[in-house]
Amino acid sequence: MTDFSELFGRRSPTPLPGAPGMVTSPAIVAVGTRWRCQRCYQWVAPADRLPNGDRYCRTCLQLGRLTTQDRLYTIPEPNRFPRLVSGGCTWRGQLSELQAQAATAVQAHAQAGHRQLLWAVTGAGKTEIVYPALAEALRQGWRVAWVSPRVDVCLELAPRLQRDFGGVEQCVLYGGQPVAYHYCQLTICTTHQLLRFDRAFDWIVVDEVDAFPLATSPMLQVAIDRAQKEAGSCLYLTATPGERLQREIKQGKVAVTYLPLRYHGYLLPPIQLKISWRWRQQLRQGRLPMGLQHQLNRWWQARRPFLIFVPHVADLSVVAAVLARNGLSGGTTVYAADPDRQAKVQAFREGQQRYLVTTTILERGVTFPSVAVAILGADDPVFSTAALVQIAGRVGRLASDPGGQVLAYCHSNARNVQRARAMITRLNRQGRRQGGRQC
Amino acid sequence: MLGCVWCGRLFSLPLTVAMIWQWRPLPQPALCPACREQLTPIGSQYCPQCGRQQATSEVCHDCRRWPDNLRNRALYCYDAGMKAYMQQYKFQGDYRLRLGLQAALSTALKRENYEVLVPIPIDQRTWQTRGFNQVTGWLTGQPFQQVLAVTATHKDRPQSAKTRQERLLTPQPFELVAGAGEVLANRRVLLLDDVYTTGRTLRHAAQQIYLGGAKAVTSLTLAR
Ligand SMILES: [Zn+2]
Ligand SMILES: [Zn+2]
Ligand SMILES: [Zn+2]
Repeated sequence: MTDFSELFGRRSPTPLPGAPGMVTSPAIVAVGTRWRCQRCYQWVAPADRLPNGDRYCRTCLQLGRLTTQDRLYTIPEPNRFPRLVSGGCTWRGQLSELQAQAATAVQAHAQAGHRQLLWAVTGAGKTEIVYPALAEALRQGWRVAWVSPRVDVCLELAPRLQRDFGGVEQCVLYGGQPVAYHYCQLTICTTHQLLRFDRAFDWIVVDEVDAFPLATSPMLQVAIDRAQKEAGSCLYLTATPGERLQREIKQGKVAVTYLPLRYHGYLLPPIQLKISWRWRQQLRQGRLPMGLQHQLNRWWQARRPFLIFVPHVADLSVVAAVLARNGLSGGTTVYAADPDRQAKVQAFREGQQRYLVTTTILERGVTFPSVAVAILGADDPVFSTAALVQIAGRVGRLASDPGGQVLAYCHSNARNVQRARAMITRLNRQGRRQGGRQC
Repeated sequence: MLGCVWCGRLFSLPLTVAMIWQWRPLPQPALCPACREQLTPIGSQYCPQCGRQQATSEVCHDCRRWPDNLRNRALYCYDAGMKAYMQQYKFQGDYRLRLGLQAALSTALKRENYEVLVPIPIDQRTWQTRGFNQVTGWLTGQPFQQVLAVTATHKDRPQSAKTRQERLLTPQPFELVAGAGEVLANRRVLLLDDVYTTGRTLRHAAQQIYLGGAKAVTSLTLAR
């Protein structure tokens, strides 16, 4: 018997002749006087016509060009999976009491088919909190996708899920990968890859939902909706939901589970606002705001490691020069395109560097023990509300040293800083209700 | 403000003296400054035969191996930026990208001395899958004569999938269409192609054009 599973829940321009139940429709259809691509659901610009009159979609060109000559083929998702004992879960770890409560809530929403958000602070252990709901979903024969707008998140997650769900067949999909697609129950992929799925998934977990480019791409948001079955649902994961998602929470359009406490039970460090009038002009004259300079001296003398966030790459060397002139030796600068970035971050983590002057690249995904943080120019628009909350989340990650300061130096009390402070205050109010402790 | 046809970003150009002088905005280029920087125009030093950019003006190593002296000129270096452009335009079939190089080609054609312009054709299969000839896509109303066709029996892998040695051994893929002789007799012909790699394709084409009675054949490619 020929295997037609390649088309199960897919949206493919290549038919499988003789496949039972194969459904087909044109790839680009006329809607009134306009044309719409049925894979990415975006409008085709009137000028995008080939010499023979065919229209083609530029938006999803990277997945292979579709024209008005093409058709898309699918076989409605049959959930043809082997029965799994305990959902294929091989994880033997233990959730804390608060994590377990959140896990139960997430599972209940998933079972009820609710669109939901797990709003867990940085350092809460959000991946493991999803495990019980995932195991139950897989046990019931659901087809599940765990997706992220960021390839690096997918690549880091895949081996974890491979290890912790050893009993489930999985595949990892992202642009330009060498391995071919195959039908399986758990798919880990970038949000872009969802464009190739049609009503396939009973449940989609969207990791780092506020990360670029998902947050700014209506196409990718529609991709998530259309890759879900009619009766399917999705779970968003983030520490810092964007304004739209927060609005939807208020409107009751998305169920939410908060985990305002870190795994060690301490509250998030608040961002302390330090108004430094004309800090940019001072920097131009080779000076730091007086308060910041004193603070850095204190941290340096106490041998506390610290991060100084600056808005732009050009500010790095200026700040580093001022610190060197003031006798604060043993630090360095780091930015996205820095060839020694990994080595410098590692040296700082191991205590060989006493401080790092950095751009926003260190806002997510890095953990340094006992670090303190200063943000120079927090009112600069490069620091989004989410970035500021993530930056504050670098502090106090260790159970043995959950304290530490986050200081924001700005010319004025800008909106992004106000919002970040308000978000942390709100999370900590929730955390306190759940028994969270102030450091 | 318009979007760049390649990266899609909106951009505007700084006001220049020329714009003020002419009392009207100059036509906006199709590529934004960042995308234009991806492409490297060939400077004043190049091989007098194949037109590749180099440090001297002597015939290059590759050209010395050809017994003839076809004269080719190229607009851009075939570097990573140009490869990325061709990948999206030709292989992914993004027809809109033709707009990005039309102005540059138009300027280059004005410098060439020819009577008949002959674009290198694509085969029937490519017509069906790609839907356009990447070479004629760059033309903006310049008259051309499609006197060459890919022979029906010519079933071949794309040139880009071959080694240099395999390319050099490729059999003649072109034939003259009916009536080509009338167009070509005693004329100076300019062949137009996308990339000069080994020169094999252009020489096959030139051979047929000479058979059609042309008195001189030169060529122009977007990249070398
Ligand atoms: Zn599309
Ligand atoms: Zn551009
Ligand atoms: Zn040469």
